[in-house]
Amino acid sequence: ILDLYEFCSISFPLKYFFFLFAVGVVAVEDQPDVSAVLSAYNQQGDPAMYEEYYSGLKHFIECSLDCHRAELSQLFYPLFVHMYLELVYNQHENEAKSFFEKFHGDQECYYQDDLRVLSSLTKKEHMKGNETMLDFRTSKFVLRISRDSYQLLKRHLQEKQNNQIWNIVQEHLYIDIFDGMPRSKQQIDAMVGSLAGEAKREANKAKVFFGLLKEPEIEVPLDDEDEEGENEEGKPKKKKPKKDSMGSKSKKQDPNAPPQNRIPLPELKDSDKLDKIMNMKETTKRVRLGPDCLPSICFYTFLNAYQGLTAVDVTDDSSLIAGGFADSTVRVWSVTPKKLRSVKTATDLSLIDKESDDVLERIMDEKTASELKILYGHSGPVYGASFSPDRNYLLSSSEDGTVRLWSLQTFTCLVGYKGHNYPVWDTQFSPYGYYFVSGGHDRVARLWATDHYQPLRIFAGHLADVNCTRFHPNSNYVATGSADRTVRLWDVLNGNCVRIFTGHKGPIHSLAFSPNGRFLATGATDGRVLLWDIGHGLMVGELKGHTDTVCSLKFSRDGEILASGSMDNTVRLWDAIKAFEDLETDDFTTATGHINLPENSQDLLLGTYMTKSTPVVHLHFTRRNLVLAAGAYSPQ
Amino acid sequence: MRRKSRGLELYLQVMAQILKDMGITDYEPKVINQMLEFAFRYVTTILDDAKIYSSHAKKATVDADDVRLAIQCRSDQSFTSPPPRDFLLDIARQKNQTPLPLIKPYSGLRLPPDRYCLTAPNYRLKPLPKKGPAAAGRITVPRLSVGAVSSRPSTPTLGTPSAQSVAVSTKVGAPVSVPGQRFTVQIPPSQSAAAKPAVPAAPAVQNVLINPSLIGPKNILITTNVVSQNTPVESPNALKRKHEDDDDYDNL
Repeated sequence: ILDLYEFCSISFPLKYFFFLFAVGVVAVEDQPDVSAVLSAYNQQGDPAMYEEYYSGLKHFIECSLDCHRAELSQLFYPLFVHMYLELVYNQHENEAKSFFEKFHGDQECYYQDDLRVLSSLTKKEHMKGNETMLDFRTSKFVLRISRDSYQLLKRHLQEKQNNQIWNIVQEHLYIDIFDGMPRSKQQIDAMVGSLAGEAKREANKAKVFFGLLKEPEIEVPLDDEDEEGENEEGKPKKKKPKKDSMGSKSKKQDPNAPPQNRIPLPELKDSDKLDKIMNMKETTKRVRLGPDCLPSICFYTFLNAYQGLTAVDVTDDSSLIAGGFADSTVRVWSVTPKKLRSVKTATDLSLIDKESDDVLERIMDEKTASELKILYGHSGPVYGASFSPDRNYLLSSSEDGTVRLWSLQTFTCLVGYKGHNYPVWDTQFSPYGYYFVSGGHDRVARLWATDHYQPLRIFAGHLADVNCTRFHPNSNYVATGSADRTVRLWDVLNGNCVRIFTGHKGPIHSLAFSPNGRFLATGATDGRVLLWDIGHGLMVGELKGHTDTVCSLKFSRDGEILASGSMDNTVRLWDAIKAFEDLETDDFTTATGHINLPENSQDLLLGTYMTKSTPVVHLHFTRRNLVLAAGAYSPQ
Repeated sequence: MRRKSRGLELYLQVMAQILKDMGITDYEPKVINQMLEFAFRYVTTILDDAKIYSSHAKKATVDADDVRLAIQCRSDQSFTSPPPRDFLLDIARQKNQTPLPLIKPYSGLRLPPDRYCLTAPNYRLKPLPKKGPAAAGRITVPRLSVGAVSSRPSTPTLGTPSAQSVAVSTKVGAPVSVPGQRFTVQIPPSQSAAAKPAVPAAPAVQNVLINPSLIGPKNILITTNVVSQNTPVESPNALKRKHEDDDDYDNL
């Protein structure tokens, strides 16, 4: 179901495409210089002959050896699109139409959405003003082909009569050659699908510090309920505080972990230390999950939302739920019986005794206690929500282009961060607070700090909207999932894109990092959940089962189970330990990135839980490994 | 009447066909009406603009050029698209070159400078002209003007002050003061609670809003049992920027 904003962009005027049509653009580090831009607009060959060129190539590829055919078939789609756009751009409307009619049926099924959008693009005016089209024409689609197949292709195209197509191939495609066996159709199908082609192998070679930061040592005081006994002298017994043994098991630095001060992080305040102590206490009571011990799922259904629920977040200690709605409000509920209170007014605050032990309770105004607080301020549907780890702030991002910071002590808006001028689809606080990331329709993700009114980093490179942004547990990297069907991993320190993961066949709507920081799970509209090894830059698993968009993913607290929630009204639990064991990481796989995925989705599926026509918008594991899920009841 | 409804049916069918051609199959029935409304509004806007342009060019009729110009102007205004990729890569490169700023320790609430926050009050109270001492019997009601405070050099409000003021001014109680009742001005508590980094407080802030003792003699009859508006409240609330004096306010 699309909302009005998306609709407005699809029909009138046609040139304003919302489901962006950026096909075939790749992350080329150097800027396209002016001559390249100009030359891209020159007519390559005779328009009437385009059909012949394409047919000729098609015939050649279909007659080639089986082992090469799969690889060479990758050429069809980008060439088709580029040639069609050439014809449209140079205003050969009739040729373009007949070209499209003749060949669009040959393309792979997963490109059908793009082709439908393309079919409505018939005039040059439709392309003008559509930035993605212009970007596409000046960038190159990446194909990965084995050396043997490439030699075959080159030999054929360099024959005199095929010169035109050779020019077109050279101009619009980037062929990343690897040495080794040509890939099978299955292998190729697993990796293609994005609007940029695949990722060049070099794009995934940079070193990524995927380890976790060391937990600071905190002295855990003994419980207060232990009575302070007195020894014979009448003095209270001296109690030795327990050392926190959870964080610093080994003194050695994990080689895969980033240095502690790689990026500046806020220091721990006393309240943070108390939170950590609570966390540790809860951890001891945590249920160990596994295939024989599945978590219970507690579902929070938003009633009467009439498809207006657009974002949900739950605090880490599972005490508050926030919902962002299409009527531009953000509502915060208390999950526990403890009600939400705001801080007293200044005049009342001056009356309280500041030295008393329970001053934090006294500053709260009992008269304002309620279970629900509504936050007004945005002027458009709220698409992203995120609580800060210390539960002081709430972030919300909206269609009006701003990200707002709300105080959870006064329940008022503190700051509006303006930078995206287009809908902001997602936002998230860093696991340590202070930083947050937002991604939107302008195809970039921005890194902000709460005390800077401008972003600190801009992560540009995606070809279409950034739908989903997540921090790595060590806060040094940000993953972004986009409508161009790629997932990119960015380094917070310098803004570089360190990983590009292709393979999804639809826009990506959910991301989750495993708690150990090594793996990333992504879910898209194609209903598949893909698992990626960050260190090696490889796809390591594919979880098939959902029949509709996977809109929420979460790993359990110790990484044993992956929960996925989808628009098909189900929650599925997958065995994460089994999915990540026995990884093939031999040299060839690492060098070429070719994987052979086992068809083990059925084995990994631990359970499917149906809801009553309620898409699962958000998933959360409590500290004791209970699953909280949230969604809005939408009767059909 | 019947002719009109037939025309409407035709439009509905055309719109349904457009949606089908674009591959959209899953939509609520009201969507077609919404799309039609949008289409009509767009076309009438364009044609109105075209009429204006053609009359400006002193032409007798509206021709294709006028319509083209109208479309172009509207699209630059309303249907803008995000910046091109090379521009984004360029500004990203510039932005990403600066190292991440160090975080100041012990700084409480980490917020941008006040100008960029939405924490300032967005209303002001108009002082009433000074009456003689014979006003003891009368209840004077201060005028509360809510809305964009343009004279303030501070917070760039987002243009929707009413939305923000909901959060703030709902806390302002009835300004009418009956003798014996206390008039409290709610100050955004975030300012009082925050231990802000040392920013020089504006000296001697003549602030009708926040300075309750100033409010007392000028505006409202407050009985003597309202004592606790005293200085400890003022200093943490002193806004960190200068405000115009009361003299700037309109005299009644």
